[in-house]
Amino acid sequence: MKNRDEDNLKVLFERFVPLAEAERAASEVHAGEEILRDHPAPQPRPELIVGIKLQINDRLAEHHRTAHPLYRVAAAAAAVIVVALIGYLTRAPQSQPNLSRAALIPTAIWESDDIASDDYDIAYFASEIEQIEAQVRALEAGDGESIGASALNDVEMELMQINTEFWKE
Amino acid sequence: MAEAAELTRVIKGCKSGNADSFAQMVDIYAPRCYGYFYRLTGDRDLSEELLSELFVKLVEKIGSYKGGAFESWLFRIAANIFHDHLRARQRRKKLLDAKRTELEAVPTGSPRSDGQDEKLDRLQIQLNRLDDDTRELIMLRFYSELSFKEIAALRSEPLGTALSKLHRGLKKLRELMEG
Repeated sequence: MKNRDEDNLKVLFERFVPLAEAERAASEVHAGEEILRDHPAPQPRPELIVGIKLQINDRLAEHHRTAHPLYRVAAAAAAVIVVALIGYLTRAPQSQPNLSRAALIPTAIWESDDIASDDYDIAYFASEIEQIEAQVRALEAGDGESIGASALNDVEMELMQINTEFWKE
Repeated sequence: MAEAAELTRVIKGCKSGNADSFAQMVDIYAPRCYGYFYRLTGDRDLSEELLSELFVKLVEKIGSYKGGAFESWLFRIAANIFHDHLRARQRRKKLLDAKRTELEAVPTGSPRSDGQDEKLDRLQIQLNRLDDDTRELIMLRFYSELSFKEIAALRSEPLGTALSKLHRGLKKLRELMEG
């Protein structure tokens, strides 16, 4: 290695120290640098140099791609989409209360214990059941003579029909 | 050093994104920059990493080179990369404090067998006994081939300070090598 100002090192030292000291300092610097010259650092491996050149080529290709107008348009479009998505996602939690208002089952019905008054079909089936229960109680009390032997079968058939229609709903 | 006109042509090619010009740039400066990193770290693998990083950064930053001493500009980037490495190493050291002694005891250079390599190791060992700042100044001076005024400007320190540090550092290195 050579130094650009090797020849004027002494002059540089003279700016700060007396001439004799400057000469000695310059001489000691030269001697120290001579040691470095006598002990050269290892050279980089040829494979490393090839690898670096390949890396540079990749980087240049990447730069060319990003510099293309179409790429810029695509990048801008992507940015718009991302911003829109972020906007949508950040607004989403505020719209959740609306979702609860759009529930299929009204809150009043859900919380009510009076099922018969909430739903016409349920009310209808409830009245049918009540009517059948009354008939069963009459049979058990021995009031069923007028009804005849087929009365029990009729009640069973009616119950089966109700059951079938209920699950069709 | 590359001829000025040739270097100007290569720099111009690099600025226009020419891969061949970058390849030439690597051929011109890789040996010196590798030597600079190796003498600062004493580690071949690490020096290779830092050298790769330097040239990749060169691709990114060549547009910001506005003339003047190219070596000064290049070695400023190299010095910054080395400082970044030191900072990262410092962070790792703090995180791995328990293992610090073990990490520092690991030999940094690759084992070598021939006489020339033993000589290299001896210099590296003595260089490691200098303080970081002085070692960096000596290596910057030796490998960048910059003038002292340029080196002082690059390091943002007075010329007299840089001269004094270099003198004391090289004198100590000589004593260590002869001792």
